[in-house]
Amino acid sequence: MSETNSVEILLVEDNPQDVELAQRALRKANLTNRIQIVRDGAEALDFIFCEGTHAARRIEDTPKVILLDLKLPKVDGLEVLKRIKADPRTRAIPVVMLTSSKEQNDVVESYKLGVNSYIVKPVNFEGFVEAVQQLGMYWLLLNQPPKLQE
Amino acid sequence: MSSDHQNDSINVARTEQTETRVEKAEARAKQAEVRTEQAEARTEQAKTRTEQAEVRTEQAETRTEQAKTQTEQAETRMEKAEMRTEQAEANNQQGEIAAILLAAIVESSDDAIIGKDLGSIVTTWNKGAENIFGYSAGEMVGTSILRLIPTNRHDEENYILRAIKRGKNVEHFETQRQTKDGRLIEVSITASPIKDVTGKVIGVSKVARDITGKKHAEAAWWTSELRYRTLFEHAPDGILIADPESYYLDANASMCRMLGYTRDELIGLHASDIVSQKEIQHIGPALTAINAESEYHQEWQLRRKDGSVFEAEVIATAMPDGNLLAMIRDITERKRAEAAAALLVAIVESSDDAIIGKDLRGIVTSWNVGAEKEFGYPASEMIGQSITRLIPPELREGEEKILGRIERGESVRPYETRRMRKDGSIFAVSLTLSAIKDAAGQIVGASKVVRDITDHKKAEEKIRHLNTELEQRVIERTAELEAANKELEAFSYSVSHDLRAPLRAVDGFSQAVLEDYGPQLPEEGQRYLKTIRQGAQKMGVLIDDLLTFSRLSRAPLDKQEVNTDKLVRAVLDDLSSQQERRQVELRVGELPMCAGDPALLKQVWMNLLSNALKYTQKREAAVVEIGCEAKPEGKVYFVRDNGTGFDMRYAAKLFGVFQRLHRAEDYEGTGVGLAIVQRIVHRHGGKIWADAAIDRGATFYFTLEGETML
Repeated sequence: MSETNSVEILLVEDNPQDVELAQRALRKANLTNRIQIVRDGAEALDFIFCEGTHAARRIEDTPKVILLDLKLPKVDGLEVLKRIKADPRTRAIPVVMLTSSKEQNDVVESYKLGVNSYIVKPVNFEGFVEAVQQLGMYWLLLNQPPKLQE
Repeated sequence: MSSDHQNDSINVARTEQTETRVEKAEARAKQAEVRTEQAEARTEQAKTRTEQAEVRTEQAETRTEQAKTQTEQAETRMEKAEMRTEQAEANNQQGEIAAILLAAIVESSDDAIIGKDLGSIVTTWNKGAENIFGYSAGEMVGTSILRLIPTNRHDEENYILRAIKRGKNVEHFETQRQTKDGRLIEVSITASPIKDVTGKVIGVSKVARDITGKKHAEAAWWTSELRYRTLFEHAPDGILIADPESYYLDANASMCRMLGYTRDELIGLHASDIVSQKEIQHIGPALTAINAESEYHQEWQLRRKDGSVFEAEVIATAMPDGNLLAMIRDITERKRAEAAAALLVAIVESSDDAIIGKDLRGIVTSWNVGAEKEFGYPASEMIGQSITRLIPPELREGEEKILGRIERGESVRPYETRRMRKDGSIFAVSLTLSAIKDAAGQIVGASKVVRDITDHKKAEEKIRHLNTELEQRVIERTAELEAANKELEAFSYSVSHDLRAPLRAVDGFSQAVLEDYGPQLPEEGQRYLKTIRQGAQKMGVLIDDLLTFSRLSRAPLDKQEVNTDKLVRAVLDDLSSQQERRQVELRVGELPMCAGDPALLKQVWMNLLSNALKYTQKREAAVVEIGCEAKPEGKVYFVRDNGTGFDMRYAAKLFGVFQRLHRAEDYEGTGVGLAIVQRIVHRHGGKIWADAAIDRGATFYFTLEGETML
């Protein structure tokens, strides 16, 4: 939960049990100390765009991947996704959507907005690895930050 | 006893009376016969008389002309005679005066008055004789009369002389004589004896009248007779000649044709033979009427020889000879036309619509009862009046234009407008105008059917009002539905996320325990945790199915043309990957294209086919048949399997949500699949039904109506 300059995974999730299950899956992938967790859409936007409680952060220190729940208090997941993909500074950040069901129409909407992948909750190790493979994010596992164009 | 006597005597009296009556009747019959014969004789005589009368009439006319001239001549001569008489008076000789008078009369006659002796020598020769024969008195007196008689008729003179010698007159003896210039002329001769004081015949006075003219008249009569005969024979109307008691004497060809008799058959028949039974009683009065009236004109029902009856118009008159002349026209056609016309009139009259005829100036020519009722004017107030009084002033100009179009022969479609009643009230009408043409096809006016559509208009207004109301209600209801839908969507969304979250915790942490602390747990504890996970996962599937089902009601149909065959084969491919170890015989028949939402239809086929595979899994030789039948209600697709089937008693439950006809340990499932299938089929406007028997397989049929909505 500590705010560092080298956040590799931003987990946006309001359900503490889901958070715990996600953390467990990530821990199994040895990524525990690189996770930033925010509990609603508004806080997610503050973090990403360095506003509010996260104003001290530098926007250039983008997370390497964002795991974004669809249904969030205050600002929902689709709105957050839209804002990320609409801003040139954050557009390149890979976003993985966390969905409750594969059947969700929101999945379609998410893809329209430019989501890079999705994981059906609960987030387990296998699911996470699969998503990472889909994204081709070997660099993340190899601890090599991507070269951002901006 | 006494009453018997009385009866007897009464009977005797009656018998006598009867006998008397019979005798009288016989006598009357005889008299009638006599009268008939007399009548026939009279008829013949009358015929002759008629002919003679006609001739005489013509002669009389000629003679009237001649007589006029003669009268003038006679007057001149009379004047001369008077002068002579005066001279004679002066002479005081009475006898001479008488002789002079006679001489004057003889002289002034146009007839030839000739005196001759018994030897045929002419003794006197008057002016008339000079005029007729061309010889002067000087030339003839003292010569034989035979020079006037054609050689071949010299015997006549002997015949006349013999008669005269016997003291008899010869009257109106018609013969030929020769004039001085050799012409033969027709003469009528009357010869009388001249007697001396002792009564002895001493000569003959002969009056000869030139009847050449009369003969010509006779010839003319024959010409005329021929003409009338021709007219009689060829007249298109039937002509009958009857005696005064209506026995037929003659009939023309048309008459014979009309009645179906030959002329010979018809002659001698009585009127009662050719009129219908019910008309027989009218014959007597008719004969009276014919004799009394100058012209008798009646319709009769006549009877043909074959017994058929027809309507005829009879014009009859009594002829101068007492016979009857009747002209008969078959008016069956006319009657039919009249009946048709009367029917039309009745139709027009009985119509509730106002039916009005008008000429091209807009003057009303006919006005039915409907018009009276609708407008309040009786026919007497409208016929001859301008139609414009029915038209509200502001519409009159337009009406004239329409009348103009009718006049030009253009057709005018029925239209709606307003009209004015007698009381000034205005009402809505529907008008139909048609041109009235005369026999020559010339447009002479227009017929107008006017229907009061006030009620119709009111009804229309009501319908419009109801429609508006209904539309409003639909809008409201739609809004309510939309709101309900939104709510349901929100609910579903909530279910999919929030209901699932605790499940995730149950499943996720069970898994975490198994993974992280599994080895520390006894086997029983591990099994419990696995059961907990299965339950949680099953509930997740149920939630997914329910969401799918509820979404089906809300998502709009994406209708397009669907290649059913391709769709079914794709589904079978998907399914076969899950059925790798099974031997299933698939029989895919012809599957025509259809219209529908491809994703939803795929779901239908997926559910039906996976069911078929599921319920045949215990069969050694599973057979699944897929096809389509053409039925009156449209294309019927079907999926048939030889699987476990079901009890038709529970068929009604088949398509209900969470309804299962099999136990979960026998066949897995949530009981939502067929409910989804039915929902999709219904959304396509189709029907779904099933036919099955336990252990003998099941067949699911469905249609996709509303394909035309594509």
